[in-house]
Amino acid sequence: MLTRRGSEQSIIRKHEEALHQGYHRWPTLDFGLPPAMGDERWPAELILATWLQAETGRPPVNGLEYRVGRSGGGFDALDFRFLPPEQQLSESVPVDTSIPLNRRPGERPVEIPIPWYGGGMSFGSVSEQIMLARAKAAKEWRTFTSTGEGGYPESLVPYRDHVITQIATGMFGVREETIQWAPIIEFKYAQGAKPGLGGHLLGDKATVAVARMRESVPWVSLFSPFPFHSVYSVEDHKKHIDWVRTVNPEALVSVKVSTPTDIDMVAVGSYYAGAHIIHIDGGYGGTGAAPEIAKKNIAMPIELALPRVHRFLEQEGIRDEVVIMASGGVRTAYDIAKAIALGADGCVLGTTELVALGCTRCGNCERGRGCPFGLTTTDPELSQLVDPDWGAERLSRLYASFQAQLRDILRRLGLRSVRELRGRVDLLVYRKPGDSDERGNRIGSGQAR
Amino acid sequence: MTTACPFWLAERATEDSHLVSYSHTSIVGFPGAAVVTAVRPTYRRYRIAIRPAPDLVRLPPRFRVKVEKHRLIGLVLKELVRYRGDLPVILSRPCVYGVFSRPVGGLAPKEELCVGCLRCTVQHPEVVQIYPNPERERLGDSYLKPAYVDTLLYEARTGHVPVRGAGYRGPFGGAGWDGMWTDMSEIVRPTRDGIHGREFISTAVDIGEKPPQLVFDERGEPVGTPPKVITIQVPFLFDYPPRSARPRLLLEILARAAQEIETLVMVPVDLVVRFDLAGSHVVPVVEKETWRWLPRLSWSPRMIALAGWNRERVAELERRFPESIPCARVPMDSDVLDLVRQGARVLHLTADYHGMQGGSFVMDLIRRAHQRLVEAGLREEVTLIGSGGIVMAEHVPKAIICGLDAVALDTALWVALQARFAGECRDPETAPVSFPRLEPAWGVQRLKNLAASWRDQLLEVLGAMGLREVRRLRGELGRCMFQAELEREAFAEVAGYGADA
Ligand code: SF4
Ligand code: SF4
Repeated sequence: MLTRRGSEQSIIRKHEEALHQGYHRWPTLDFGLPPAMGDERWPAELILATWLQAETGRPPVNGLEYRVGRSGGGFDALDFRFLPPEQQLSESVPVDTSIPLNRRPGERPVEIPIPWYGGGMSFGSVSEQIMLARAKAAKEWRTFTSTGEGGYPESLVPYRDHVITQIATGMFGVREETIQWAPIIEFKYAQGAKPGLGGHLLGDKATVAVARMRESVPWVSLFSPFPFHSVYSVEDHKKHIDWVRTVNPEALVSVKVSTPTDIDMVAVGSYYAGAHIIHIDGGYGGTGAAPEIAKKNIAMPIELALPRVHRFLEQEGIRDEVVIMASGGVRTAYDIAKAIALGADGCVLGTTELVALGCTRCGNCERGRGCPFGLTTTDPELSQLVDPDWGAERLSRLYASFQAQLRDILRRLGLRSVRELRGRVDLLVYRKPGDSDERGNRIGSGQAR
Repeated sequence: MTTACPFWLAERATEDSHLVSYSHTSIVGFPGAAVVTAVRPTYRRYRIAIRPAPDLVRLPPRFRVKVEKHRLIGLVLKELVRYRGDLPVILSRPCVYGVFSRPVGGLAPKEELCVGCLRCTVQHPEVVQIYPNPERERLGDSYLKPAYVDTLLYEARTGHVPVRGAGYRGPFGGAGWDGMWTDMSEIVRPTRDGIHGREFISTAVDIGEKPPQLVFDERGEPVGTPPKVITIQVPFLFDYPPRSARPRLLLEILARAAQEIETLVMVPVDLVVRFDLAGSHVVPVVEKETWRWLPRLSWSPRMIALAGWNRERVAELERRFPESIPCARVPMDSDVLDLVRQGARVLHLTADYHGMQGGSFVMDLIRRAHQRLVEAGLREEVTLIGSGGIVMAEHVPKAIICGLDAVALDTALWVALQARFAGECRDPETAPVSFPRLEPAWGVQRLKNLAASWRDQLLEVLGAMGLREVRRLRGELGRCMFQAELEREAFAEVAGYGADA
């Protein structure tokens, strides 16, 4: 793309401008739907609807499907049993979308005004510009974003009250001060898209800056082994938690795990080890690169894990002392609400945020110079395609749209707070793809086609 | 490859055959047994050598790049004015993959380079549109879908594990293998060294007779003949091609690849004889119609498969080839318990290429067969091989979890060799499969690459579960999850979830 240094900025500006126009023009449907865009989980309509929400701060009104995909199951087969209109709450009734992140009795309360925060995306898997955009949006919404396992760029320090420090098995970029800065420390045991496999940053992405941050050698592939070599039991896990709490006694501790058959036991163990948040990452979650066999076949989708965990924690009598955050295929405001109805307190967003910033879900993140849209790349030129302020604005508007939809859902269910929705599977209805919702709209099929 | 009974091996016998290859094996108490020779075990780590083996037949590009040429010229003219002749800026194109590279850029896009990122069309929707190539959609058939073909070709080309950015893209679950997930463990790995190259996970499996206990005489010597067992280094072997495509070269490629991978290849006995395919890796398959070829078999195979199970024929087989393991090749819905009670110890259960037999899918049939043998207390004595509908790397561990010891591969092999299906490739008797002009070294390498990729993917699955050997995966239904069962549990209280869901 870039040829001569002198023209570099003009070239970047030219493409940036054209991209921004594209993000605006495609959702108008003047060109129809891009024929090669989308898949069952993220159909073209959902991608364009997310672009539109990131621009306008509102859900689409031109028929673009913005609630569900076409995967034929899970969130895409669930809908809400809304009350008859006369029983729904009116617009004037305030609806609370905040959730607590610390439910441990007697401990410092921490709340976020929306039931989601940003998931870990490391420096190296995404650019510093993307990390910054996410941190700025998190600050504006008084929620959080996570460093992922790649270190803590200097530019994030001003946002540190909204930045979760992730500690994963490679310990890349983990320093005493990054633990001390963090309001929440996240131990990543596993990742939904590649459960049990650890992480791998390809040599091409381990640029000089990335390697410096990770205290490694430039252009050499980096592995995050699996599992934590110091953790072979819940007791070992507790030692981990004790360690970070010694360095930073104020921090909340989140434990990110995948969804094995015994996820309920894992959750209970994590609670007794001292975790405040159990972050469950379902099998269909995002990744910068993962073996295809792992994405589809190992560990269960989040929709099926949540009820199991929620019920088990209830039976154990500890459900109200721990926070469950769900991720791994949570794409829309409707998905967030459904995840909460299935038993989560809130959700962690990753891919959705990238889509808001222009991701087309093409799956080329690991190829060559990385993402051609400047998202999952550390290429010094491509990464300039995303201005952090522009990105933060897009994320903010997406959040605004999601919050508005969440309030609308809650009003239509007659609930005044998102906390009342937790575990309310009785408010859900299972619909086969192609069925109509209560407004007569076909599930998984907007009117755009 | 080792021929010996694991119960009877000398002192190193408990070692992982993945790590230890016995050039010679000694069998305690059977100094005169046929397989007994000198003692010293040698160490050799098992690996499949991969090498790039590019496609022989060029595939249609994945995407069609449609450029409105007059609009492109208009765009360039507009930019000429806007950027006042600053050529680097004007000529800079959105595609970072070289589709619009010189000499004429967008006027003749290089479609074969397009990876479908859509950046060009996002930036310039009125100038360029990207379409999925319908020709690509015609690869494979209704079971072995175009996306599967893509994956298999990549695996055969490179020998690598397919890795892609972004998360899972497909349906939530589905019928058959798609409705099953394998387990993982949050904190357990087979070793502390990580999966990347240093972790010893065995993919070896044993095929043959596995008596429940040994009988000793008063002198403390084991009684009877030693059980016959073959250890293959991967839990998959090769089945023979459909009747429409059995040229000598293809069978030679299959046989040589099987030999190099240290597995087995099934070949109809008449072709074994006619094509002179002798070797310890070749398993002649004898049908009623080809029984007459058996006397012309001038060497002693380690295993001979019999289509059906007929006591007289088995007795005759054992008389002629006392060192060979007889294998009953029967439809997957057969009464396995009855066959085992009749003396069968190795069963190759077959279904059609779409994984169906008698109206049921292989996944259910394997579970049923395994379960019957477990309930009868006979499972440990029997080897179950299965084939049909196992076309992707993930199907191997799933089939093993359902109860197989090993799988026999079919259509995936043909695709790796760039076979084309003319219509549905379902019935082995009539499947219309044609192969390109094959080059032997290329063909062998493609199959080795495929096997290496599948083995590595199996290691990923085993590693995620914390299992050190694939033998332990067999029938481990507790280490998998079925969509139907999980949904019943998760959505039990969700209105509308029920019979029709
Ligand atoms: S390469 Fe970029 S656009 Fe494509 S899936 Fe990855 S992040 Fe999204
Ligand atoms: S879709 Fe992407 S790879 Fe294909 S031509 Fe357009 S920019 Fe290039």
